[in-house]
Amino acid sequence: MKLGDVFSYSFSAIKLRKLRAGLTTLGVVIGIAAIVALLSITQGLQDTITRELQTGFATDTLIVSSGRGAGLSAMGGGDSGFKLFVNDTQTINEIENVSMSLAIIQRVGYVQFGGKNRTVAIVGVDFVEYASIYSSTFVAESGAVPLNPENDTVVVGKRVSDPWKNETLFCNVNDGVEILWTNGTARPPKNETYAGHVAAVLQEVGGFGIGPSDSYIYIPLSKAESFFGTDECDMIIVKLVNDDTATIDSTSKAIRDAFDKQISVTSATAVLSILSNVFSVIQLFLSGIAAISLLVAGIGIMNIMIVSLMERTREIGILKALGMKSRTVLTVFLGESAIIGLMGAAIGIALGWVLANVVALVFHGGGIFFGNQATGVGGISITPVLTPTVFLGALIFGVGVSVIFALYPAWRASKLKPVEALRYE
Amino acid sequence: MVAIVEAANLKKTYLLGKVPVEALRGVNLKVENGDFLAVLGPSGSGKSTLLNLIGALDKPTSGKMLIEGVDVSTLNDNQLADLRRRIGFVFQFFNLIPRFTARENVELSMSIAGIGSAERRKQAEDLLETVGLKERMNHKPNELSGGEQQRVAIARALVNNPRFLLMDEPTGNIDSKTANEILGLLKRLNEEKGVTIIMVTHDQGLAKQSKRIVQMLDGLVAGELVN
Repeated sequence: MKLGDVFSYSFSAIKLRKLRAGLTTLGVVIGIAAIVALLSITQGLQDTITRELQTGFATDTLIVSSGRGAGLSAMGGGDSGFKLFVNDTQTINEIENVSMSLAIIQRVGYVQFGGKNRTVAIVGVDFVEYASIYSSTFVAESGAVPLNPENDTVVVGKRVSDPWKNETLFCNVNDGVEILWTNGTARPPKNETYAGHVAAVLQEVGGFGIGPSDSYIYIPLSKAESFFGTDECDMIIVKLVNDDTATIDSTSKAIRDAFDKQISVTSATAVLSILSNVFSVIQLFLSGIAAISLLVAGIGIMNIMIVSLMERTREIGILKALGMKSRTVLTVFLGESAIIGLMGAAIGIALGWVLANVVALVFHGGGIFFGNQATGVGGISITPVLTPTVFLGALIFGVGVSVIFALYPAWRASKLKPVEALRYE
Repeated sequence: MVAIVEAANLKKTYLLGKVPVEALRGVNLKVENGDFLAVLGPSGSGKSTLLNLIGALDKPTSGKMLIEGVDVSTLNDNQLADLRRRIGFVFQFFNLIPRFTARENVELSMSIAGIGSAERRKQAEDLLETVGLKERMNHKPNELSGGEQQRVAIARALVNNPRFLLMDEPTGNIDSKTANEILGLLKRLNEEKGVTIIMVTHDQGLAKQSKRIVQMLDGLVAGELVN
């Protein structure tokens, strides 16, 4: 029997029991849709985060912070008691492959304007150096980032200027704002304040990263030192001559050695690779859960095929009496489950894709993760990604599970003896 | 000349639950090309068992069942399937596939034999014309009368130029008028087209229309009669 005829025969059997076949297919649809939706969303999320990090966290930079912890601890700060100072950049600048380094002093404070108050992170940096490292993100949308800033110059992030995303501005270029910081180490705690002048509003950066952020305000480093009363810095950003792995590794080691291993050095690539590992685990975990539902669908297929086998015992007897070979009977039954699996997988992939987009839309609109106005980072936009691997994998997995679970009923059908099958009522 | 069908000391024992039942106890039979043989006997005489063995649907417990000189016992599953394609079965209950039309039912045998769809269609239409059902070929079995269904079954059996037609109570489930028509059709096939026919029946009247009658009783051939 030709393969095309076998499938057309299988299909005729499926058509006969539309509702039953439909419900069986639904099981596969749900399983595949869950897998596709979860994988394409996590892939999209990973891509978004990676992209955000790459823009906000130039790949040819290292982050030096106090504390011996490795990797991501740089983001959380160290705990060794060792302190980094602004002039430590001089030591770092002498190390091979370092093209420049800049110190950052950062505190949480407030900006006051027109009687309103907003919590912000106040970041003290050298504007010129900072702009050269983050040339694509530390860019003014209105006004200009001054090259020789006055002491009272302030550059604000987009969300500080336009926190509600509706053009109702909190403050704008040329506004005079009051900057407030509470010195918690003084006794009694003392509120420090000075009048700043907004020189520029940055363009929207979106997302997050170590680099410029929409919810920060930037003041000159020298002003930060005097305002916060310290020359201790929170981190030093090091720009390298290139972003080769070898350069990153050797320079990281050289910097660590220069400070007697009392500091931690984190590279963007290291963070990205950790992130990528974390996402792989999450993807594996999520698809594992989704796979369970497909497994349940597989058992449903097996169940239905066994019922179908019993109903059609006589038919199998006829087919065998007409000269159909056992392996053709096997193929007919496997064909039925393959068709169910294929339909289920195709619909499931489409449904999963739609589902992923709906979820992405909800993320984007509501900003479930980062929409908190207090931090003002704004909603994160995820574009679900359906990779060819996921597409093909889902298709093969859907058909595969269906066929595997049909193996036993199909085998039983093929082993029926014609005389007994014909006698079956 | 080799007989189309030859049974030599054919025995078949079934297990009915745990009780062995000797359905055939040493049957000897020879069918030549162009024969029209009726196997006559009451129920339980072993005629259906004999039919299953001749049709290669089952294997004997002992003795030899030769189809065109080939011992059925020596064939494996695939070879048996190939052999069955050269045998035209007509079952007592027609055994048509309910979801297929008359034409599709006839085509099925050809499809199993791997014949292409255009050729199938043409042959099926020709065969349905032979059995006088051309007008009804697009109807499903439940839209056909018993006699019409039997004609479809005969048309299906005639597919692939079978070596012989094997029929189980061919008129068992149809009225006498239709039965006569069917019998007329069979006789025509036998006389005009030289189709060898072996039919099993308990109907003496029907058996008398054949060329030769083999009388069975208690799993043995009790007598033979040439009409």
